[in-house]
Amino acid sequence: MNFWDVFLLKILEEEFWGVFLPKILGGWVVTVKVLLISIPLSTILAITLAVARIYGNKPVSLLAASFVGLFRGFPCVVTLLMIFFALPEIGVYLSPYWSAVLAFVIVSGSYQSEYVRGAIQSIEIGQSFAAQSLGMTKLQEIIHIILPQALRRALPGVSNEIIYLVKYSSLASFIGVGEIFAVSRLYNSLYFRPIDIFLAAAVIYMFMCTIASFIFKVIENKSRYPE
Amino acid sequence: MSNQDITLKVEDLHKSYGSNKVLKGVSFEIRKGEIKIICGPSGTGKSTLLRCLNLLTPPDRGHVWLEGEEITDAGTDIHKVRQKIGFVFQEFNLFKHLTALRNVSIGLEVVKGIKKDEAREIALEQLRKVGLEEHAHKYPGELSGGQKQRVAIARALAMNPVIMFYDEPTSALDPQLIGEVLDVMKKLAKEKITSLVVTHEIGFARSVGDEIMFMTDGRIIERGPPDEVILNPKHEVTRNFFRNITRLYERSEQ
Repeated sequence: MNFWDVFLLKILEEEFWGVFLPKILGGWVVTVKVLLISIPLSTILAITLAVARIYGNKPVSLLAASFVGLFRGFPCVVTLLMIFFALPEIGVYLSPYWSAVLAFVIVSGSYQSEYVRGAIQSIEIGQSFAAQSLGMTKLQEIIHIILPQALRRALPGVSNEIIYLVKYSSLASFIGVGEIFAVSRLYNSLYFRPIDIFLAAAVIYMFMCTIASFIFKVIENKSRYPE
Repeated sequence: MSNQDITLKVEDLHKSYGSNKVLKGVSFEIRKGEIKIICGPSGTGKSTLLRCLNLLTPPDRGHVWLEGEEITDAGTDIHKVRQKIGFVFQEFNLFKHLTALRNVSIGLEVVKGIKKDEAREIALEQLRKVGLEEHAHKYPGELSGGQKQRVAIARALAMNPVIMFYDEPTSALDPQLIGEVLDVMKKLAKEKITSLVVTHEIGFARSVGDEIMFMTDGRIIERGPPDEVILNPKHEVTRNFFRNITRLYERSEQ
C-alpha cells in the first residue's frame, strides 16, 4: 500500500465501482490462480492416496492412512501456517502463493481421498474377478475397470469438497497471499465499508461455487451410464 | 506326463479357508475338445475348484497343468495363464461402465495389446456369434440377464482361450432366459471348445457333456458318462441329488 494508492482512494472515497471492485477483482484473479492449480492437484493426490490405501502393501497403506488422518485432523489454517512458517526451519522456502497451493492440495486431497476410497470399496468384487480372469494385471484392472466406475461414484462427494476448497482458499490471506479476502480485509480496514466490500467478496465466492457446481453437474451427466 | 491331447490336468488339489477344508484332493483331466460337467450340492467346493484352477484363489496343495505346463509352479506368470482360460461367472460380472462391445474388446486391447480397430472387429465377430451384434452399443444396465451372460461368454471367447470355465452360468437367470444361454453354450460345444462346466442343467449335461463329475464335500465321488451318472448313480448322495434335480427339472418343463 503506497502513498499514491491511499491518496487515490481518499479522493475517490465514494467510488465503489471505480476503486474497491477493481481491487477485489484483482484479488479474485489471485484466488483463481490458486484454485486452478490446487483443484486438479488435490484430486490427483486424493486418487493416489485412496489407491495407495486400498492396494498398497502394509507400509504404503499405513503411510497413506496416516497422511489422511493427520491432515484431516489438523485445522486447515494450522497446516497452512506450518507450511509457510515451519518449512523454512528445515531449509524449505516457499512463496506465500506456493505455500497456500501446497496446503490446499494436501488438505483437500486428504478429504477427497475418503470419498474416492469409499467409492473404490463400493465396486463389486465381481468386477475385479472379471478383470483378473481376462489376465489383467492389478494396475490395468485399477486403471481400466475400477477407477472409471469409482470416480463416477465419488464425484458428488469430491465436488462438494472442491466447493469447500473454493471458500477456504480465503485462508491464504493469513500468510499474505493477496487474494480476494486479503484485499477485502485490507480495504475494509482502511475505509471501514464492510457492507459493500464484504458483500462484493461474498458474491464473487458464490459465483465461483455456482460455476464449479455447474461444471461438476456437466461432468456428472456426461459420465453417466445406464445401471 | 504332458500328453499333447490333455488340455487340463488336475492332481490332488486341496484348499482350505481357515479350518474349513473346501477341496480335499480333487483329480481329473480334460482332453482337447472335451466338455466336462461338474455337479453337486451347493457349498461342496465347485466354485472354489474353478477359482483355484485359474489361480483367482491359490490352491494349498496339488498340481495343475495347462497344456502340459504346470501352472501351480511358483514361477508361473498368472496373468498369462488366465488369458488362456475363459471364465464365465454366475453373476455375469460385465464391466458396468462399458458397452457390450467394449466389454468384449477391452481385454484384447489392454491385455493382448491389439489395436483398437482390430479389437473392435474381433469383438463384433464374437458378439455376432452369440447373437448380440445389434446390442453392441448397449451398456450392461440395458441388457437382460440372458443377454448379459451371452456378452460375458463372448468376452471370454474373444481372448481365444484354450479352455472355457463356466461357473453355474444359468443359476442367476430367470427361467425364461436360461434357454438362450444354453443354446449359445451348446453351439460352442458343437465347435468342440474344450470346457469345464459347473451346472445343474441336466438337460444340457446329457446333450453335450462327455463326462459328469459329481462333487460332494470337497471330493469327486462319482464320474462317468452323463446318462449313466444321472440315470443310474452308484452313490446314495448322487442318487438323491439327481432325483431332486430331475423332479425340479420336470416341473419346470411342464
